[in-house]
Order: sequence, then C-alpha cells, then structure tokens
Amino acid sequence: MKLRFSASDEAFRVEVANWLRDNLCGEFESIRFRGGPGDEHSFVEERKAWERKLGEAGWTCIGWPQAWGGRAASIEQQVVFNEEYARAGGPGRIGHIGETLMGPTLIAYGSEAQKVKYLPAIRSGDAIWCQGYSEPSAGSDLANVKTKAVFDEQAQVWHITGQKVWTSLAHESQYCFVVARTDPQAKGHKGLGFFMLDMDQPGVTIRPIEQLTGTSEFNEVFFDSAVCSADDIVGKPGEGWQVAMALLGFERGVSTLGQQMLFQNEFNDIVQLAKRNGADRDPMLRQRIAEAHIGLRLMRYNTLRVLSGSDQGELQAEGMIYKLYWSSWHRNLGKLAMDVMGADSEILEAEPYALNRLQSMFLFTRADTIYGGTNQIQRNLIAERALGMPREPRGNNE
Amino acid sequence: MNFTFNDDQLLFRDSVRDLLSNEVTAERIRQRWDSDSGVDSAALQSLVDLGLTAALVPEEQGGLGLNTVDFILIAEECGRAALPEPIVDSCLVATPMLVDADRALEGSDSRLGELLQAIASGDQTVLCGPSINPYINFAHSADYLLLPHGNEVHLVAIDAVQLELQTSVDLSRRLSKVSWQPRSETCIARGEMGADLWRSTLNRGALANAAQLLGLSEAMVARSVQFATDREQFGRPIGVNQAVKHLLADCAVKAEFAKPAIYRAAYTVAVAPTRADWSVSHAKASAGDAARAASRNCTQVHGAMGYTWECDLHIWMKRAWTLDREWGDAGFHKNRIHEWLLQPNALLGPQYTFGRRHLGDAVNPTIAV
Repeated sequence: MKLRFSASDEAFRVEVANWLRDNLCGEFESIRFRGGPGDEHSFVEERKAWERKLGEAGWTCIGWPQAWGGRAASIEQQVVFNEEYARAGGPGRIGHIGETLMGPTLIAYGSEAQKVKYLPAIRSGDAIWCQGYSEPSAGSDLANVKTKAVFDEQAQVWHITGQKVWTSLAHESQYCFVVARTDPQAKGHKGLGFFMLDMDQPGVTIRPIEQLTGTSEFNEVFFDSAVCSADDIVGKPGEGWQVAMALLGFERGVSTLGQQMLFQNEFNDIVQLAKRNGADRDPMLRQRIAEAHIGLRLMRYNTLRVLSGSDQGELQAEGMIYKLYWSSWHRNLGKLAMDVMGADSEILEAEPYALNRLQSMFLFTRADTIYGGTNQIQRNLIAERALGMPREPRGNNE
Repeated sequence: MNFTFNDDQLLFRDSVRDLLSNEVTAERIRQRWDSDSGVDSAALQSLVDLGLTAALVPEEQGGLGLNTVDFILIAEECGRAALPEPIVDSCLVATPMLVDADRALEGSDSRLGELLQAIASGDQTVLCGPSINPYINFAHSADYLLLPHGNEVHLVAIDAVQLELQTSVDLSRRLSKVSWQPRSETCIARGEMGADLWRSTLNRGALANAAQLLGLSEAMVARSVQFATDREQFGRPIGVNQAVKHLLADCAVKAEFAKPAIYRAAYTVAVAPTRADWSVSHAKASAGDAARAASRNCTQVHGAMGYTWECDLHIWMKRAWTLDREWGDAGFHKNRIHEWLLQPNALLGPQYTFGRRHLGDAVNPTIAV
C-alpha cells in the first residue's frame, strides 16, 4: 500500500495544471464548471470548440495507445489528469462517449479499416458520439431490443428501423452506436448487431425530451430505414450483445474521479451557503454535512482502490457497487442542498423557469438513481453476481 | 498510488483466517460464555504462536517490527471470527502506545523496553483504558493497564488497581470498571507528550474497532446469504426474492465502501497517528454504519430464527453493537468531521483535496491522497 503519487506523476500534474491555466481562459472562461449531467445542454458550441482545443494539444484520449494518437498514459496519470481537469473547472467533456466508450471498443474489437475511419476524429475532438442502447421496451431489460437491422444484399448496406430513447447529446452528435436485432427470430441477447451509424441522414429523426428541470439533454431518436454501411458493424451479426457489454466494461472508473470533483464543488457550495445563512448552527444539518463529506471521501478511496487493483475490462465487485453508492449519495446531497437553502429553495431565479445551480442539481439528482441502471437493478446485480444469491426466475424473453 | 496489499500481508491474513476459522467456532465462543475467565487459552496460544503479539513490537525488542497497515487485515479477521480475546486491543492499540512512549523517552525508562519484550513473547499483556471508554474489556486478563490522569499516561500493574466486573450484553466481552490512584512512579508521560499519546491511541482504538466492524459485517452477510439460499418458502429459496436480496446488497455496498476508508486510515495512522483524526473518523463512522445495517438486515433475512438464542447470528450482532459505540460512536466521529468542515477557515474544494503540491498551504489535516 502506497498512497502517494510518484515524482514523475507529480511532474505530469504540474504539466497538466499549467496547460489548463494557460488555455482554459479567455474565450473559454464562460464554460468553466459548466456541462456534465444536468447541465449537458449548456454552451454546446463552446464546449465543442474546447474539445478541438484539447485535441490539438494532445489532451484527448490520453489513455489510448500511441499508435492511435494517445499518450498510453498510466492509470495514475489518467487519475492526475482528471483531478487537475476538474480542479481547473474544466467543462463537462462533450466527447466523452467517443473517447471512453466507442474508441476503446474499436481499438479492441474493430477492424483496421474501422479504426482508420473513426479513431482520428474522436482523437482530434471533431467527432461527437452518442449511445443507442435504451428503447421504449428495452430499459432495465436492455436485451429486449426491437430496433431491426435488415441487410440489403444488392446495395451492401444495413437498413435500421426502430426507436431509441434517453439518448444524451443525440442532437449534437455526428455518430451513434446502435444495438439492433439482425435476426428477427431471435430473442433476448441473441441475434443482435452493434452498428456505427451516421446521424446526418434522412432516415434519422431526433426529438428532445423535456425534463422536469425544464431543460433537455436527452432525446428520442427514430430510425426509418436509416442506412449503415456493411463495413460499419463491429463484430459479426449476432455478436452485438457481447460487443455492447464489452463497451460498458471499458468504463473503468478513471472518469468517475472527475465526477467526484464536480460533487466536491457542489458540496463546497453547500457548506459555504450554510456558513453564510446560518444553517451551520442546526445540529441535524451539521450531522448531515458530515455524512455527505464521509460519503465523498469513501467514493474517492473506493475508486482509487479499484483503479490500483483491477485488471483491464474486469468488472469487480467494487466496480459493481459504485453506481448504487454514488447515485444514492448524490440524491441525498441534492436534498441536503435544499434543506440548507431553507425556504428560499423553492423560489425560482427568474421567469419562466430558471433554476439556480443547487435547485437544478437537486432536481436532476432525482434521475441519478434511475439512469444507467436503476438502484433496484443494481441491487439485483450485486446480490446475484457479487454475493452469489439465487437468480430470480426471468420471464419468457430468455 | 496503490491501495493493494503485498503478498506478505495477504499471507499473514490468510494464515490468521485459517486458524480462526478452525479454532474460534461459534460453539467454542459459547463455551467461553460459561467460563470464569472468558478466555480460551489454547486459541490464544495459537495466535501468539502465529506472531500476533510480536507483530507491532520493534525488532530490537524481539518483535516483528510491523506497522498498522500490516495488522489491519488481521483486525478484520478477528472481527470476522467474533474473536472474544482482546488481541486487537492489546496488539494494535496498547502495544503501539507503549512503543510510541518508549521512542519519545528514547529508551530512558527501561521498564517499557522490558515490557515490550515480554509482550512480544506472549508472556505479558497490556491493555489501555482511555477516558472515552468507561470500561476496559478483559482488564482482569492483563498484566498492566495504560490509564489516563488528565494528559498523563500511567503504566499501572494489574495488582495495583481495583476491578469491578460488569456483565456485558455481549457475553463474549468481560468489562471492568477500574479504580486506581495515580502515583509519580507509574507516570510515563505527561503534558504535550501525554496528550499526543492519547490522541494517537484514540485514533488507533477507533481504527481497530472499524476494522473489526468490517469483518463482523461481512461475516453476518455471508451467513445470511447462505441462509437465504438454503431456506425455502413457496417452493423456492427465499433469496430469490428481491425484497430479501436488496437487504443484503445494501449491506454489501456499505461494507465495500467502508473498506478503503479503513485501509486509508490505517496508512495515515502508520505514518502520522496524531494527524489521523479525519481519516479515522471516516473509517469508524462508515464501518459502524455498515455494521449497524448488517445487524439489522441480517436479522430480518433470518426471520424468526434471527431472534433466537440458538441461532449464532447474535454473537456477531451484539459485538457489532458494542464495538460501534466503543472508541467514539457515530455521533462523536461525525462531530469531529463537521467541527473541522464548518470552522470559518476550513479550506474546501477540489484544490485542497488532492495532490502533494496543494498540501503545503492547506490547513487540511490529511496527508497524501
């Protein structure tokens, strides 16, 4: 056990911090501390420009192999980068789906031609990707995908027809990776394909979903015979589920440290507010502030522990429990923020529905325990896979 | 930056775990309840033979020269086994206090060095009774007690104190109220040195209990998973039901998150025990939370069986309740955290939470990550 960073990691930290100090300013001053879940709709053009700025300087995809433009950065360096990025108030990364999910999946499972076609634009910060997994009838039961992919032998293209939902940033993305059924007779996780689809075509319609915050960052996406080249399927038809699950395995927790720094900023705001408005004299609120702080530190230690012990791609018990923990913690933080604000917590900033940062956080955190697998689904997974409890009988989809 | 344990540490843990699972069964714990001393001498001797009492004694005094990080997994195992003997209290708390005192005195008081040699060989035992704990567990089995008089630390032979035995709800524990008179010849530290020793000891004690609470939690969850898999109702194991599963999943999450907080606190205690308040409080509060949840939910999963004397679950449950309170309860440790957080000059925000170069100018009492 060694809980310090090495001298070379500390030197790397200085390099990152200096670059951010010199570049996250001027035209980019307005996007500091912006973006990310709950604020994904804000400053989109500026944040796209910021992605390209990062790309030019080699600060995107730092964990990728050098052959594809990455720095082959160690886990420690990635941790350091994420920490310094959050510390400097770096905006929510609009390119994160390409960098952390699609890119590593292609590097592991894609053909040489696919890598050449897609990786450079992710690396340069030009291509924004979105994720086409959930459907109206495929939520917690993700394998119940109805979107169909039909191969046109003559034109050598796939035609994709169906609907995806809760697609973050779909309206800002050039590409979407889509799980669709290649074998209409198959059910569940069999007979699926994993497609990379160009969003800029007539067969794609995007409709924003208005959230209870009054803003929109998710969408419904409709495919009506959308065209996908025969070369743009990852793996073979029928292997889509394996690729889709492998993709989720690439999220190894490095970026969760950045998320935790956002949490730390929110927590800090709450503590400062409590000191200003006298809520810090309330013994119950003091205890809850201490509890929130304990949770924040526990998340950090847990992530560092997972990162220092895990083998690539393996979903360990520690990783499995993380979603349930952070989502519950963040939901409670939202309520704590409102209780510290007191009666003012219900007063809007402005007409027609302008929320302040903490109100927005409180409302958006109601989604944390739902998206990316509900708390109930997480508990099932933990009980069955981590604790080895008997499996619940499933319906007739498998 | 590395949160993993090395092979030696894991090997030591495995051999202690094997020994405890063979020698400290629920049946033999119940036998202790009917004995006067509450001690199983054979089990105790086996632990001495494995080197537990020598572990944290410096090599020059015949010990193994290990530190808190090396021993933290052992404390966890003692909790998992619900070991009644106060091995963790003596080896991880009282012994390091003596070591610190001996170092601060630069060996000038030969009694301390001699006592440490006797501790390493398993011939003598020391326990401590800080002011935060009104009772000392197994005081009657110790040869010496470390006792407070203001900031002073007194090393008092057991025949110079009066013990008033109390019966604990947890029959494995043997508590005593201690009456004694401070004398100048028993005082081994005073003033700032004494205050530092008690501050470190409070942190070591809270950490020791946190590690045991984690072991207790995992043991309760493991028993309950087994029970929910074996016990059938409506023609299938009760563990199939989400209402049952989710109770145990919640316990697993709490225990898993308490784990790195405990290891992190062990690291800080090993390198700077007087500056470990914060990380120790994270560990104690979260491990206590995990153990309370496990006690509550595991009883529920066991149904009516969980409420019986016959079912072994209460061996672990009662220990969890008592260790959660000892060395500062959840309120005490949360107070330590919010009193620091809400002071006017507390430096918050990501810029003060990580990175060595941000530490020099921060009031933040933590070190490293």
